[in-house]
Amino acid sequence: MKNDRLEKALECTGTDRVPFVPAIYEHKAWFINDTPSNVSRDVDLLTKAVLTEYEVVQPDALTIGIDVYNVEAEAVGCKVTYYEGDDTSIPAISADSAVFSETTRLTSIDLPDSHRDGRMPVNLEAAKNVKRRIRDEVPVRGALSGPFSMAANLVGPEHLFMLTVTNPGFVAELLSFTSEVAIRFGGAYINEGCEVIIFDSQASPELLSPKMYRDLVLQPTRRMIEHFHALGQKHVPLIIGGNTTKILDSYIETGANNILCDFSNDVSKFLIDCAKNRRAFRRNIDPTDFLVAEPSDLHRRAVTGLEESRGYPGYILGTGVVPYGTPTENLKAIRDAAIEYNLRTTGYFL
Amino acid sequence: MSELEELVQSLEDGNSEKVVELTKRLLGAGASPQTVLNNGLIVGMGVVGEKMRIGEMYLPEVLQSATAMHASLKILKPLLAKDGVEPLGRIVMGTVKGDIHDIGKNLVGILLQGAGFEIVDLGVNVTPQKFVDAIEQQAPAMLAISAMLTTTMLNMKGVIEAIGGAGHRSKVKIIVGGAPVSEKFAEEIGADGYARDAVKAVDKVKELLAIG
Repeated sequence: MKNDRLEKALECTGTDRVPFVPAIYEHKAWFINDTPSNVSRDVDLLTKAVLTEYEVVQPDALTIGIDVYNVEAEAVGCKVTYYEGDDTSIPAISADSAVFSETTRLTSIDLPDSHRDGRMPVNLEAAKNVKRRIRDEVPVRGALSGPFSMAANLVGPEHLFMLTVTNPGFVAELLSFTSEVAIRFGGAYINEGCEVIIFDSQASPELLSPKMYRDLVLQPTRRMIEHFHALGQKHVPLIIGGNTTKILDSYIETGANNILCDFSNDVSKFLIDCAKNRRAFRRNIDPTDFLVAEPSDLHRRAVTGLEESRGYPGYILGTGVVPYGTPTENLKAIRDAAIEYNLRTTGYFL
Repeated sequence: MSELEELVQSLEDGNSEKVVELTKRLLGAGASPQTVLNNGLIVGMGVVGEKMRIGEMYLPEVLQSATAMHASLKILKPLLAKDGVEPLGRIVMGTVKGDIHDIGKNLVGILLQGAGFEIVDLGVNVTPQKFVDAIEQQAPAMLAISAMLTTTMLNMKGVIEAIGGAGHRSKVKIIVGGAPVSEKFAEEIGADGYARDAVKAVDKVKELLAIG
């Protein structure tokens, strides 16, 4: 049966309860007692891991992807380090594997084929399998790397940050290229009946100034989101980690809905600005001690977060990236807080 | 504006050419390398750190300033060595095994170097044994360990245990940092200190090494 809880939150029209969307990526592998490296490269394992996550955690949306920032960069040519045996480290772009430099003629580079290159087909196939199994029960979202974060992998993070000052023209060209890569990959997900979710935490104002975000990143991001709107996805989530309060105006201007209010953000500003612009946001609980915390403590912290929401109908309860091996009871405790909170307060704020 | 003040300003502007030119001009006019270092580079990088702390400078600008600082240090280092001027202390740093994030670590390294410390950077994905080896080979005053993931931060404990196991714990102070790390976690794993960001890391290192 279709669960339209998240859709209603995205429309800011009020739901039966606050949706719960934890950030589960590498931890998916733990649900099937395997490693992130193995699951990220195998369609069947990835399908099984996402379906097990759905069964066990019952989130209100699912994301396809383990190492969500690496897939497009790998398809373009970056090398990813995978870990063998029992090593549960997260696959990572190898150091010094930048494939582009300032002198690269980007117009001569072929865009990756979503059905052929790197692990794009693995992720697409898994998304298709999951969608076939759960149909419209909850949104199935294919993870996309945002334009700045993908660019950071392609030229090397520090080099990219330097180029924003020394050669912003090249950075603009590069972000046009990366947004086109994401547009193609995202289009393939949408063709399979899935949705997309964009991640761009390298563009966080913890690193990049609000002015540079506006001058360089906003436009290609907006172009991506408009493209996905045109393909029929009404609400496009954009996840930028860290404290994004300083770029909240630009963040909203991207056209994204379901933006991120990380645990370090000023939630009151998000409540005001998102209400004004009719946007939903996901408020994260700090995941730092998820591995060792008591479920009762996490439940209490979730309730505190929910109370901060003041019943805003576009509020989504989430978590920072769930560490591999987090006890399921801990995730359930947070989800239970969302269920109980609304039983207590139904109709109070709406 | 004096030439030293101009050097500070050029460093803040990330103007490498100007910083090199002023370094040479100051030395040519008789300034000691130590004066250029202490009253130019260290003061300038202090301003950069402070501006980053209050949100007036961001990573791209700090990297520009760091490039300028390195260009000047390339001229100063042999002269400082010749004069027998020692850095404030040697710091070995690295990101723990399983973690390839290095921007935060590098930023800490830049500001520590800008404050007058010598940095030995082991890079990313560093095994506990490699940290132990570095202590034996480099005899640092401080070890700075970074982790950016909730899973890899647990490996910090392994590093500290390995150092203890090798009998080196009393020889070196250890500071930890990274997005998921907290003061409480630092205490739990037996680190000597924790810093929330790169600017605070400089203050903490000075405090732990009793440098005024």
